[in-house]
Amino acid sequence: MILAATAILAPLAAAALILALRRLPAALALAGTGAGLAASAATLLRVAGGASLSATLPGLPGLPLRLLAEPLTALLSAVVAVVGFFVVVYAVGYMEGEGGRVRFFAGMSFFVAAMQALVLAGDWVLLLAAWELIGLSSYLLIGHRHEREGVPQAATRAFLYTRTADLGLYAAIFVLVAHAGTSEISPTLQTGGAAATAAGLLLLVAAMGKSAQTPLQGWLQDAMVGPTPVSALLHSATLVAAGAILMIRTSPLLSPAVLLLAGLAGGATALLAGLVALAERDLKRLLAASTSAQYGLMLLAVGAGSSVAALVHLAAHAAIKSALFLGSGVFQHARGSTRLDRLEGAGRARPRTFLGFAVAGLALAGVPPLSGYFTKDAILAAAFGSPYAPLLAPLALAGTLLTGAYVARALGLLWRGAGAGGPVKGARWMGAGLAALALLAAALGLAVPPIGELLTGQELPEGALATVAGLAATLGGLALGWLVPEDRMLGPLRAPAERGFRPGGGLDALVARPALALGRAAARFDDGVVHAAVLSAGRAALAVAAASRLTDERGIDALVLSLARGTRRLGGRARELQTGLVHRELLLAAGGAALMLVVLTIGAAGT
Amino acid sequence: MSAQALFTGFFGVAAVWFGVVVFRTSSMVRSALALLFSQAAIGAMFLAMQAEFLGVLQVMMMATEMSIMAIFMVMYMMDPGGLGEMEMTHQKRASIAAGALAALAAAGVAALTDWGPAAAAPPAAEQTERLGAEMLGRSMLIFETAGVTILTAMIAATAVAIERRRRR
Amino acid sequence: MMALYVALAVGAVLFGVGLYGALSQTNLVMIMMGVELMLGAAMVNLVAFWRFLHPETYAGQMFVLVVMTVMALEMAVGFGVGTARFRAKGSVEMEEARELRG
Repeated sequence: MILAATAILAPLAAAALILALRRLPAALALAGTGAGLAASAATLLRVAGGASLSATLPGLPGLPLRLLAEPLTALLSAVVAVVGFFVVVYAVGYMEGEGGRVRFFAGMSFFVAAMQALVLAGDWVLLLAAWELIGLSSYLLIGHRHEREGVPQAATRAFLYTRTADLGLYAAIFVLVAHAGTSEISPTLQTGGAAATAAGLLLLVAAMGKSAQTPLQGWLQDAMVGPTPVSALLHSATLVAAGAILMIRTSPLLSPAVLLLAGLAGGATALLAGLVALAERDLKRLLAASTSAQYGLMLLAVGAGSSVAALVHLAAHAAIKSALFLGSGVFQHARGSTRLDRLEGAGRARPRTFLGFAVAGLALAGVPPLSGYFTKDAILAAAFGSPYAPLLAPLALAGTLLTGAYVARALGLLWRGAGAGGPVKGARWMGAGLAALALLAAALGLAVPPIGELLTGQELPEGALATVAGLAATLGGLALGWLVPEDRMLGPLRAPAERGFRPGGGLDALVARPALALGRAAARFDDGVVHAAVLSAGRAALAVAAASRLTDERGIDALVLSLARGTRRLGGRARELQTGLVHRELLLAAGGAALMLVVLTIGAAGT
Repeated sequence: MSAQALFTGFFGVAAVWFGVVVFRTSSMVRSALALLFSQAAIGAMFLAMQAEFLGVLQVMMMATEMSIMAIFMVMYMMDPGGLGEMEMTHQKRASIAAGALAALAAAGVAALTDWGPAAAAPPAAEQTERLGAEMLGRSMLIFETAGVTILTAMIAATAVAIERRRRR
Repeated sequence: MMALYVALAVGAVLFGVGLYGALSQTNLVMIMMGVELMLGAAMVNLVAFWRFLHPETYAGQMFVLVVMTVMALEMAVGFGVGTARFRAKGSVEMEEARELRG
């Protein structure tokens, strides 16, 4: 189990070292993620075939922390490790000459560690903690260049959207743990009845938030202001995958109603996000919309009853989408922007990068024999074979069609146009990362069936109808995207699609503004009431002090001084006896002698 | 009344009368002389009370002392002749009260005490012999002390009265 | 016995007169005269007590000699001081002698 834990600990140690030493951030990050990759691969080999490793760590009383490495979790860990490593390789080149590298690489390493903890978690508490930590890392990394306009707001929006959806996770965990009596994940998946339905719905809410499903998809578009490696790692392959991972892991728990809802939500997202992708004017935002759509398809697969289809698509999509982002990053460095009107012809200027980009894109569209074909096929087969086929299948097909369309659109925009562009720094590193992931995108297809069966024991769905319909949709979409001119695409739907189909002013108005208003009210309360109370307490203390000083001065001091004055006056009176006049002194002497005589007489008479 | 009492009374009254004159007259010389006579009367009283040695001693001493006093009075008084008629007293009432009080107290004590029976007088010759024996015997220390004290007083008085030499 | 009372009475009056003089006179020499009278009164008492109460004890006469000595000494030192004062201030009036005022 130590081996599996190294996948978490190596990047974590790298992050700590980078922050402590503030030197060699890139090298340390590479070392950390590389070690994590080795450990993850070794663990996968170990548990292939159905074995499972686990470890228990002390945690809260009654709720110990557990790590679990079974085939599902080990595969996910491997995915995270692979993508993480190659994106860091890419980032070495991307960040050449940029500032804030210590922060960046520390954040990336920390994120990888947290994501690994999430996928390897064996109990809800650890999973929840890791969930929150990846949210935090996302905020920090999106806001890396915080001095730029709009960046802090985008980071805050991403954080608030996902955080709000996380309430679902909290509630679901509460229900499950209360019902099952333990925080270990596997036993809680046996829950049934109303509790299961409730928990399933809440988990769905959390998954939809994290995976940017409709209506919560707005944050992902805006998160694209972060550096491209961040988009590649977090917002295509891993963080947004957390929602889908949650659904996949808890699929035994989900009741048919929840499954249907999940499927519908995923399908709707695939449709709407696909339309948005067709309308986007920025390459990275296009890819972000595509990410939402693809995760919609995964959710649809889970809803259709085949979590293994979703799993393989997740793995393939990870490689594909990160490769696409890496490529876009190269074009961004060449042309200085990610806007599609600036990027026209960038592909023609850099043919090798465009090759990698195109391979990944076609894989996404589902062209055989690339990996995307196999996974799309599995999803479509699951959709056609599910009890709700009339609802899910058309949505899946529409999603596939749209995928092809926007991929072709992107490729067309990049290829057509005058080829030009400046030199790119760090091209070698970037090229290496891109190449590795593009290769995986292409080649993973060969590994899909064995992965599916070996690791999860479930069979990949197959269906002739699905295969044919899928191919038709893919090719049709590609043709559409390539041939239809820009301004004619989408027609009347273009304007809302550009806005991203935000509902009712978006969650901005629904959630963020009220939350901020509440914050401001609380601040006013604190300043006015609490502050005033504290200050008045202070003032009261000062008043008491002043009063006591007054008493001391007037009362006690006066007493002491009057005593002194009285004594002095008495002394003055006594001095008056000393006139220095002889006759007076004689008189006094005579009087004193008489007195003494009387005393002596009385004394003598007494004895 | 015995003769002794009579004579004692007579000389006593004389002493008192002269004593009063001392302070009532404004002439200094007359004051001194009055004091002389007063003290002489006291000496006579001693003789009346059969203390012969003391009586003679008293008269002799007082004569000399009062003469010297007269000289000093003339030296230092503003108005030795007493012709100026100046009031030379102060705090008169307090003094009269004090004097009266003292006299009354002493007389009262003398009258009210039971002194016991009177004793017989010793013979005259024997007196002196006895006094000498007393002085040189038991009271030798007193005598010696008195002598030293006189010496000291002489030196002290001389030292005080010497005019300070001014050193230039 | 009668003589005793007479002598004692005389002594008392003499003492009173002497006290009056000592307290009321402004001049140093007059004050000294008052003191002389007081001492004389004391001597009278002493002799009376010796003669009528204890004729066999000559300590009484010894005491009288001591008082006489005191009288002489007092005069001597007193005149010495008076001389010094006269030289310093030009008079021996006690009314002006305020130097020891406390």
